[in-house]
Amino acid sequence: MNSSDRELFVDQVRQHHAGLRGFVRALGVDPMWVDDVAQEAFIVAYNRLEEFDQGRDFGAWLRGIARNLVINERRKDARRKRIISDNLTEVLISSSSASEEEDDEMGDQALARLNALKECIKGLPEKSLKLLKSRYEDDNSAQFIAEEFSMNPPAVRKALERLRSGLRDCMEEKINLATAH
Amino acid sequence: MRPDPNNDDLLNRFLLGDAEESDLSRLAARAAEDTDLASRIADELSFSEMLRQVLVADSDGFTDRFEGALESSRLSREELFFRVREGGASPFESDQVAKLLWDSPDAAREFRRQLAEDEWIREALSESRGAGAFIESLETRMWAETDRDRFVDDFARRLENQLAPDFAAEPTKGKIVRFPGGWTQTVLQVGAVAAVISIGAFVAAQLVASRVTDRSAPASVVKSSPDANWSEGAAPDRDGFIRSGLYQLNRGVVSMRLSSGSELTVEGPAVFEVGEDSSTFVHEGIALARVSASDPGITLRSKGLRVSEPASLIGIDARVDGATEAIVFSGDGGICLTEGGKCRELTRFEAVKADHFHEKLVDVPYKPHAFANAWALLSGVENNFGTVKIEMPGSDLSSERGAEGQVQVFVENESFRPKADLEVDRVEVGEFSVAEANPGQQLQAKGDLRSYLLQLWPSDQEGGEEVETSLTFDHPVVGVIFSSGRLVSSDSSVGSANSADGKAYNTGQGMDSGNDEILLSQDRRTLNLRFKGDGSEVGQVRVLVALN
Repeated sequence: MNSSDRELFVDQVRQHHAGLRGFVRALGVDPMWVDDVAQEAFIVAYNRLEEFDQGRDFGAWLRGIARNLVINERRKDARRKRIISDNLTEVLISSSSASEEEDDEMGDQALARLNALKECIKGLPEKSLKLLKSRYEDDNSAQFIAEEFSMNPPAVRKALERLRSGLRDCMEEKINLATAH
Repeated sequence: MRPDPNNDDLLNRFLLGDAEESDLSRLAARAAEDTDLASRIADELSFSEMLRQVLVADSDGFTDRFEGALESSRLSREELFFRVREGGASPFESDQVAKLLWDSPDAAREFRRQLAEDEWIREALSESRGAGAFIESLETRMWAETDRDRFVDDFARRLENQLAPDFAAEPTKGKIVRFPGGWTQTVLQVGAVAAVISIGAFVAAQLVASRVTDRSAPASVVKSSPDANWSEGAAPDRDGFIRSGLYQLNRGVVSMRLSSGSELTVEGPAVFEVGEDSSTFVHEGIALARVSASDPGITLRSKGLRVSEPASLIGIDARVDGATEAIVFSGDGGICLTEGGKCRELTRFEAVKADHFHEKLVDVPYKPHAFANAWALLSGVENNFGTVKIEMPGSDLSSERGAEGQVQVFVENESFRPKADLEVDRVEVGEFSVAEANPGQQLQAKGDLRSYLLQLWPSDQEGGEEVETSLTFDHPVVGVIFSSGRLVSSDSSVGSANSADGKAYNTGQGMDSGNDEILLSQDRRTLNLRFKGDGSEVGQVRVLVALN
């Protein structure tokens, strides 16, 4: 492998990490282990780069590798598993058969979606941002957040769902706007 | 041709889980015609279930699980989904969600999308989970796991390209570096091995500071967190020099070396002023000063207070209007009100608040957490890989176990000069080696050292998970102690992190079972550890770095 191959590979990591991490999580991998599994997929890809068919989509190839890694998780000893539940991962893997729309979301569009999401988050009111950070950055449970914000857990869940829904709309709008231009 | 298996063979294969599809079809067909065989299969299955219950779960466990399941069954579909995404779902709840998703491919697709969005929100919210951190961690892992240096070459070149405009006139020097596995590679000295496996921005900033000198500048940036962002017109110059004037750090953490030799670390949002004489006024934000022994005259002020007598490690919290806190982490110090001249002597782990409205100094409890980010940068340890917690000064070894898979880093002794030679373990640089009993080697008692104690926590289950980490130190590692005996014998020489209640916890829990691995990089800056546990509750490693 020559140095231009390596340059290309690093560029591919930059381009595909967001989609791959989303894809890995969508297969039911424990959030704590998402980066670990995604990195493992990159390492496998790196070591097998000679096997990659240049005519294929690199992102799809990576997702195939990640998918196999997650399938293998189900065979591991319970304590070594990086997935939430065998059964859940099984159904999520089965339902992840390739669709063009999903390929776009986890593939080419993922980075743009992530950047759009960052923009949308910047526009959130302070309290909403605190709520979101408590859940997604500090990884607190709804119960804990409820105590922190003097709310009850169902209200926290509802507020978070509304926030997510708003962020998703905002993200889609930005993506559509960018595509239209 | 294989002979047709008899009923016993088929049944055995079925019960042992070895039956193939064709075996199952054959067994089912025979059972349909042979009621005795069908009855025998039923008996064997019933007995297998009894065995499973005896071996896997006791009756109390079953009752608990049933009650849990009953409770969970009251949850709505949305609540179940939320609990799984939240990470708090029980196995029963996860299975319930799986069942719901089996019945509805659209719901499964939507759920997958929600999980992916959760992940993207996490990435969008946290800089530490951004692309840069991911790639840097991947670089380290690739290097560690493949034992190859492909990325070394690549990363060094990238780093050189990034720095090239600033140092175009600097001649490049070649250096032969031998890597694990016998690979020989010419890499640029500026990159070296440390650059490859440590955080880009961190290293870049260090390189900037180390390669240029300007005696007229009162301070220069030595380290920055990757998210550091300055206000335009209130930022250090391109070379990282800080001239006298007002500076505004919008976010991130930046460490500066003052011309006097002391080090100031600031966390944004912060506004501070640096004078020609390297005196510093913190108008807003968090600041942590490590005062050099040769710099007794450091001038550090903030809203309403001034440091009259500098402790060796002192923090200023000027984030709120009306009050400024000062906290001493190490050594003895003195704080005075700017107006009125009231002063207070502080010793280690004491804090005081300057009340601007009432012009008085009030003793406050030692709460160091506000300084966690600044301390993480100032501690001199950069985490490349693993779940690492840089413990605040004053954090003690306690009787409580750490989180599974976590690596705790204690700065045991900020600076000390050993009175006699220290016996450390033998570690070959640039080569993976097994941490095991070894003859050791003497570390000569010359120069100042800093000691770190690393605690690696595997799972507390039998045969628990291994713990891996990769840490880069901002000073060269001159001694590593991983064997239990040497850990105990070096405790008194380096000043170990003792427990708060005076009892000795986890002393001498070395990594010398013969199954753990250690790798110190060629440039002695990066330490990779793989602790397999093997029944040990915790693994400890002491790291000694040379300060001069």
